[in-house]
Amino acid sequence: MIYTFTTNDFWFMVQGAGITFVLTIASGFLGTVMGFLIGWARTAPNFLIYHLLGAYIDVIRSVPLIIQFVLFNSFMAILGYPLNPFISGLITLSIYISGYVAEVVKAGIESTPRVTRLAARGLGMTYFQDFYNIVLPIGVRTVFPAWTGLMLGLMKDTSLIAVLGATPPELLRASQIIINRIQEPLMILLGAGAFYFVMCYAITVFAKRYEQGWEQKKEIA
Amino acid sequence: MIEIRDVHKSFGKLEVLKGIDLDVEKGEVVCLIGASGSGKSTLLLCINALERIDRGKIFVDDIDVHSPQTNQDHLRRKLGIIFQQFNAFPHLTALNNVSLAPRKVLKMTTTDAQELAVQHLERVGLGDKVDQYPAQLSGGQQQRLAIARALAMNPDYLLLDEVTSALDPELVGEVLDTLRMLAQDGMTMIAVTHEMPFAREVADRVAFFHEGVIHEVGAAKDLINSPKKKRTQEFLGNIL
Repeated sequence: MIYTFTTNDFWFMVQGAGITFVLTIASGFLGTVMGFLIGWARTAPNFLIYHLLGAYIDVIRSVPLIIQFVLFNSFMAILGYPLNPFISGLITLSIYISGYVAEVVKAGIESTPRVTRLAARGLGMTYFQDFYNIVLPIGVRTVFPAWTGLMLGLMKDTSLIAVLGATPPELLRASQIIINRIQEPLMILLGAGAFYFVMCYAITVFAKRYEQGWEQKKEIA
Repeated sequence: MIEIRDVHKSFGKLEVLKGIDLDVEKGEVVCLIGASGSGKSTLLLCINALERIDRGKIFVDDIDVHSPQTNQDHLRRKLGIIFQQFNAFPHLTALNNVSLAPRKVLKMTTTDAQELAVQHLERVGLGDKVDQYPAQLSGGQQQRLAIARALAMNPDYLLLDEVTSALDPELVGEVLDTLRMLAQDGMTMIAVTHEMPFAREVADRVAFFHEGVIHEVGAAKDLINSPKKKRTQEFLGNIL
């Protein structure tokens, strides 16, 4: 019997790409929200919060993601709350990326010079008026490219969820299953790479459009 | 009226203000002079509560600035402050730099706030720069923008922290002209400055800071032309 690449295989990969995309968007969103709150909290003048959250970030960024997947999944099972591998993976990915986002957010908040914030407060603005109208817009423009880079990395990191054996599989695992059957690794990996490229490139184009909008208005000094 | 009573302020072990007493009447222009690090700029930040004080009291129109009962955000509307370093909001046009606080703090409508902003931009000679971003303005224009932004809140007092020190020499004049105009209009100002000719011409009184205290204070012309104390003579001798 001859094994060849079928239409079903193609749709199997499209499904995998869809799962990769959804995992990226969902964990990117959750992780950004968490990372924003963590990074913001670390700019508060509170020694304890700064160092506690700093330790969280250090651990998250220093332990390989694949270990975090397994540890979190096992930990929940031991506690008596076994999770669906997708949910478990999604939470792990969100926590993981939040550690990186937190540092980017902190840098963004700190990119507004102290005197600019004093000027805003000096006009009678409250802390939140200053934060929302001055610090956020300046910070977003400063660290948006770095954040985009994190999201592109996250998309490729989603493939490590395979260690939890989630089905249906995401793009890379789907590709490996097809490779095992038809023994055509080069063609399939080329195809999988093309899928990743198209999805990442879409994010890049989307991000570029925002940045160019700011530049055209001469908002970036 | 601003009343400063025995104000002390330390940063860590360094005591920057060691008991400052000063009254500034409505309509008065007072210049603070003295070497860098003598506490002049810190005092300005303490007057509108951008820095805390360790001891003493500051009253602005009989409001105790550092009392926990005082709404400091509200109080700061009375006191415009302009800094040495450029601090225009880089993501906003000149128009929106000036109209932002009237919209957010005074809850004016966008139309009213922008109308007000145009008036103040014209007043400081930036009527043709309304739609420019700060990056497109010169240093002198950015400082005048900062002045217009402060004036749009209709403050009773202006605190000026070496507003010409970061400017190229040929741009200093245009900013000083703007301040002269404000003094003539009766604006109450406390200005930290190294521009002695300006202080002599515009200020009613001058206070000389030395090592965290007001070493000598007096009518502007008297103090600058014939200082009584030795430290003041030395300082003026060095910079004039």
